[in-house]
Amino acid sequence: MAKHDTPLLDELEKGPWPSFVTDMKRQAETHPECWDILGQLELSYEDRITHWKHGGIVGVFGYGGGIVGRYSDVPDRFPGVEHFHTVRIAQPSGLYYSTKNLRALMDLWDKYGSGMTNMHGSTGDMIFLGTRTENLEPLFWDLTHDLDQDLGGSGSNLRTPSCCLGESRCEWSCYDTQDICYHLTMHYQDEIHRPAFPYKFKFKFSGCPNDCVAAIARSDFAVIGTWKDDIQIDQAGVKEYMAGNYPSNGGAHSGRDWGAFDIKKEVIDICPTNCMWMEGDELKIDNSECTRCMHCINVMPRALKPGKEKGATICIGAKAPILDGAQFATMVIPFIKVSKENEYENVIDVIEQIWDWWMEVGKNRERVGETMQRIGLPTFLRVMEVDAMPQHVREPRSNPYVFWKEEEVEGGFERDVEEFRRKHAA
Amino acid sequence: MAMSVEEIEAAIIEKATKSPKPQLYIKDFYKCDPDSKPRAIKNIANGLVKKGELMFWSSGSTTMYARPDRIKDEEGSEGVN
Repeated sequence: MAKHDTPLLDELEKGPWPSFVTDMKRQAETHPECWDILGQLELSYEDRITHWKHGGIVGVFGYGGGIVGRYSDVPDRFPGVEHFHTVRIAQPSGLYYSTKNLRALMDLWDKYGSGMTNMHGSTGDMIFLGTRTENLEPLFWDLTHDLDQDLGGSGSNLRTPSCCLGESRCEWSCYDTQDICYHLTMHYQDEIHRPAFPYKFKFKFSGCPNDCVAAIARSDFAVIGTWKDDIQIDQAGVKEYMAGNYPSNGGAHSGRDWGAFDIKKEVIDICPTNCMWMEGDELKIDNSECTRCMHCINVMPRALKPGKEKGATICIGAKAPILDGAQFATMVIPFIKVSKENEYENVIDVIEQIWDWWMEVGKNRERVGETMQRIGLPTFLRVMEVDAMPQHVREPRSNPYVFWKEEEVEGGFERDVEEFRRKHAA
Repeated sequence: MAMSVEEIEAAIIEKATKSPKPQLYIKDFYKCDPDSKPRAIKNIANGLVKKGELMFWSSGSTTMYARPDRIKDEEGSEGVN
């Protein structure tokens, strides 16, 4: 039976969609503290203000992240949520869980917490919602000793790196996303578990430009698989698609009759750079114009494949819209080899070059993308020792001034201007 | 000339003890030795947490440092970490 009346929340159960209110009521049958979450949320809807106090000094010994303190500011009315800390559990690479592991995690959380989870947070961790301070150390002990799993990152730490499932299942993956994700997770244990930066920093690894982990939108350091040479074409496969013998998009949209496959309408005419055409019954691609949008490969996976010379593009500086709106990452390094043979040394060099600069120049609570925006891309490219190229330019310039550096000016800033003008009369 | 680790530790503790606000960002400690790299200062500050001289205070999105005797958690206890 409900502990609190929640007429406002009950409205959220009336639609045809799944409702978190219904889920919480079900959970409250075994974890009575969940009634107090509903009660406090109802009060927040009435008062139009949050009743959570966020942050504090809770944590587990030796770690400066992984636990987010949360307290109720009305504990007398809702004692079940007096403490309601969040625990971040590092997810396995590619989110591969065994059912045995999932059951063990849920049993652990039923024992020490509210049983409510968020699968998964934006960073990628499994998020356990709601426990008391005295449960944190026992939970951490069991998690690390019995399940051999770890907490994820929070605060001004390196956040838990995440990746797509990569080469384990996807033929388009241009590098082993899971291996680099695991390698860098182990390499940067200190940065994940203890604060290191002006603000959070996220790695995400996508094996191809489909970017299934949304690295370009959600990570400070996005490693997105790409290729340097030409898209591989199997002309016989193209003909099979055109004849209707292969389903387009791997049959993903087969729930409706879209008519016969039309390569011109569905592929060639919507190529964003118009770099494809038919010559007789052969598909041609001007690969120098291809922007790796993946559309043609997605539509005809049995005829087209990424090239053979594979690596990744590094984009830097994405963030969600806390300050100044959401921001996509900026392409900084168009192609880099991603190789386990050198233990990803070249990728690590790029990461640490960014960190050394950002830790010095970044303001408190400033994401690296905001620092880049503040100082400008030309300066950032100089920091990264990358030569500017047309692909770095987002839009034509609107500022009429040219900011020359002294070394770019013949004779420097101290040159004799009169002498210069005598030689270069208007 | 760069300061020794012990000198930087002492400067960090002094800063954390005398600052008007008990919670400090890691950047606040950089000035303790401008000749040291930020990552070196970070490592020393985190080492002081291990020794119990400092503690972490986290808002969830940002982590700050504080002297244990200058800060209390919501439950009223000091120096818990």
